[in-house]
Amino acid sequence: MPVAIQRSHGLARVYLLRERYIEMLKKDLIIKNPLSQGDDGGEDLLVPGGFGAVLSRAGVGKTALVVQIALTSMLRNKNVLHISLNDPIDKVTLWYRDLFGKLAQRYHVEFVEQLWQDILRRRLIMTFRVMGFSVPKLEERLSDMVNQGIFSPAVIVIDGFDFAKAELQQLEDLKSLARSFGASAWFTVPTHRDELLSTDGLPLAFSAAAGLFDIAYELKAVGSDVHISILKRVSGVPSGRALRLDPETLLITEET
Amino acid sequence: MIRDITKVRNIGISAHIDSGKTTLTERILFYTKRIHAIHDVKGKDGVGATMDSMDLEKERGITITSAATYCQWLGHEINIIDTPGHVDFTVEVERSLRVLDGAILVLCAVGGVQSQSITVDTQMKRYGVPCIAFVNKCDRNGANPLRVTEQLRSKLGHNAVALQLPIGLEHSFRGVVDVLSMTAYTFEGDFGEEVRQIDIPAEMKAEAQRQREKVIDAASLFSDELTEAILEEREISNDLIIEALRTGTLARKITPVLMGSAYKNKGIQILLDAVTRYLPAPCDVDNQAVDLDNNNAPVKLSGNPDEPIVSLAFKLEDGLYGQLTYIRVYQGTVAKGATVVNSRTGRKIKIGRVVRMHADQMEDIDSIPAGYIGALFGIECASGDTFASQEVNYAMTAMHVPEPVISLAIIPKDNKSQINMSKALNRFTKEDPTFRTKVDDETSETIIEGMGELHLEIYVERMRREYGCEVTTGTPRVAYRETITQRADFNYTHKKQTGGSGQYGRVAGYIEPFPDGDFEFVNEIRGGVIPTQFIPACEKGFKSAIVKGPLLEFPITGIRAVINDGAFHSVDSSDMAFQAAAAGAFREVFGKAKPVIHEPIMKVAVETPSDFHGAVMGLLNQRRGMILGAQDEGLFSVIESQVPLAEMFGFSTVLRSATQGQAQFTMEFAQYRQVPQSVAEELTAKAAKQKRSAA
Repeated sequence: MPVAIQRSHGLARVYLLRERYIEMLKKDLIIKNPLSQGDDGGEDLLVPGGFGAVLSRAGVGKTALVVQIALTSMLRNKNVLHISLNDPIDKVTLWYRDLFGKLAQRYHVEFVEQLWQDILRRRLIMTFRVMGFSVPKLEERLSDMVNQGIFSPAVIVIDGFDFAKAELQQLEDLKSLARSFGASAWFTVPTHRDELLSTDGLPLAFSAAAGLFDIAYELKAVGSDVHISILKRVSGVPSGRALRLDPETLLITEET
Repeated sequence: MIRDITKVRNIGISAHIDSGKTTLTERILFYTKRIHAIHDVKGKDGVGATMDSMDLEKERGITITSAATYCQWLGHEINIIDTPGHVDFTVEVERSLRVLDGAILVLCAVGGVQSQSITVDTQMKRYGVPCIAFVNKCDRNGANPLRVTEQLRSKLGHNAVALQLPIGLEHSFRGVVDVLSMTAYTFEGDFGEEVRQIDIPAEMKAEAQRQREKVIDAASLFSDELTEAILEEREISNDLIIEALRTGTLARKITPVLMGSAYKNKGIQILLDAVTRYLPAPCDVDNQAVDLDNNNAPVKLSGNPDEPIVSLAFKLEDGLYGQLTYIRVYQGTVAKGATVVNSRTGRKIKIGRVVRMHADQMEDIDSIPAGYIGALFGIECASGDTFASQEVNYAMTAMHVPEPVISLAIIPKDNKSQINMSKALNRFTKEDPTFRTKVDDETSETIIEGMGELHLEIYVERMRREYGCEVTTGTPRVAYRETITQRADFNYTHKKQTGGSGQYGRVAGYIEPFPDGDFEFVNEIRGGVIPTQFIPACEKGFKSAIVKGPLLEFPITGIRAVINDGAFHSVDSSDMAFQAAAAGAFREVFGKAKPVIHEPIMKVAVETPSDFHGAVMGLLNQRRGMILGAQDEGLFSVIESQVPLAEMFGFSTVLRSATQGQAQFTMEFAQYRQVPQSVAEELTAKAAKQKRSAA
């Protein structure tokens, strides 16, 4: 029997009906969202401990893409920990607010504010100065939150990680940290115009760590368009649909 | 008084709490010879800083009301408004910004851009106030002024350029290198009054040169002449750079950053030079008023002292000799004996005593010309009123005043206190638009309302100290609101025929959520089914019904009431009957429209040493807080969260004990949000119980 009927007195019913409506709105948005996999949009691209990467040159839309991946997870009621190593909390918040607003507008979602308030509790932003970021520190912070029942992430987004300077060990530690918390992780990887490519066609700074990644997308500006191509995909990870980034709204759209 | 308007600066000093604003002001007054000794905010001599003239301010080490003062530097007259740093007193900050032409944004070299700095910066943007930044406390452990400059760029979006480099840092901070003149300065003497020019330390020469180039590069955007000089590789004069920096600063497109340590008396004199160089004179700023005779059309004020007077009362103080009104004159000259009109009340006022304020001392003057700040004696008015000459009917635009979010019942202890309490409340409400007072109809208790626990606490304390009025206070009450979540139709007939003339009125229509405002009444009556003369009565009926909601007896907001049908009786219908019909209809339909309770949610930012990061998160979480993010700044972190105000009572004590007194927090209103079901049930039950016991 649905909970709504068990607690059918007075305001309780009102509240639960509203909750149910919000769930419907979320589902609607997930299915319409081109990032979604599977028929009901419920499938995850990565398993716990899985790594995903978004590569592109500066200003093409890496952050926009990972924020949309995060928003899709939040709509699926999954907790997202967004770690930014460059931007302050306010700026990261703006990215989310802006892209969610555009997403809701594109798919004509009603009650945007209510939906936003509902999914907001599924996101936590942490910012570190690049130099101050370390895996033990992150582990300490995460344990603090998980042990106190404050927040337990299912998806971790790391924006601004310095692949050129980081050691492979740090990424390996991050991977085991993610696995132990049952979370997958998405990274943004900046590439450079003159960067050399390794034999497997991956940028040199990234190729050393590529073995740890299950999927890697590349954003490339082609004329006035931004194409999203898959650079690397291990077997078992769904390939998804052909996608591009609308350069005006920075929203992911399906390739036409 | 200097009569050359280009040599006048009306500035404010804005910052996060405990960044050292008052200490900085104290040093400025000392170096400009307005005071002859320095007293620290919480100094051992017990005198307190000059600007903190209220006893309470001295005791708590915070500045509560902004005192105005003036000083002279390099032939310039600088009027300073010292503004409060605590968020509860934001309206004071906003009021000051409204009348200022420029500001010094004080930042802590350790804490950097903190939450309150962001609030203050938003306010500066709202009023278009150009600013220069001063990175204070360079002598503290962990000080890094260049990181703070970077934060000004990344967190506040300023085009910040450091005009100086620190010579040494923390305990070895000695002075600064000015990269424009390529000179190093140290500050000697007991109070740093002796500014000594020294050679730039050899190890800093290259860095200073690089920084100079950065400054020139940034300034070149604002001067064609400077750009040409760079391209032609001519020698670049300091004046040219200063002129370009000034143009950029006035347009709020560049923020010069200076550094020092007010407490250690370092860097203040150069900051004063910068105030005269980069901040605007009154004639550099466009001020607008609205013409009340011309449908509130905006009018540009000329700033000419010979034209009709337009001035704004931005602050009131009640002193021994009556009310002291701080004014800023925008046009004309307010002189002794002149007659002006208060454009809000239409009342004529004859100007009596005109004074200039220096914290709590004053100096009599003859007139206040356009562009200046001064004070008037013996004038009855409210804060925010405009005084204008009789020939113009202008008003300065209204300031943004937030709604109070917390209330407290106060009961005077004896009859004497009762009399003094009304005097005190009368004064406080006039001085501070965010502080309100009312009498509860049912309990007959006096209720005071404000912007936070500390805000109300300070007023209760001031009542005791300044008016000898002892009051007992109730528990603070959160200003909940009730609203509806869906449309519901009504059709209500009010009929009464029990002796005397009858009453009859029928109203039909619907109510629906109105997210854009508190209340809207829409009349869609066609064909005169309710005669036009009764429509206002219907509106009045709805308005009377939304004053107290049925759930918690808090105001109902966010509602649109539409009437589209009804009926009347040629004899029995009256204003009163339709008023009762509308009120009855509302009571009947409200429950059908799925009512909910909204509560004020506060944006709470806690700065804590990183060791207590987890403990602070736990504290916030226990209080139904939603943690938005955590910013790691090395030795300490800032945790940003949204917490219901109802859960924030006594937080400062808990935070202090959980962090060994090392964490501090700021809190400001963020939004109203629906309370969770379990809490709503609890609140409703509590309200019902109270109602029963009152009956």
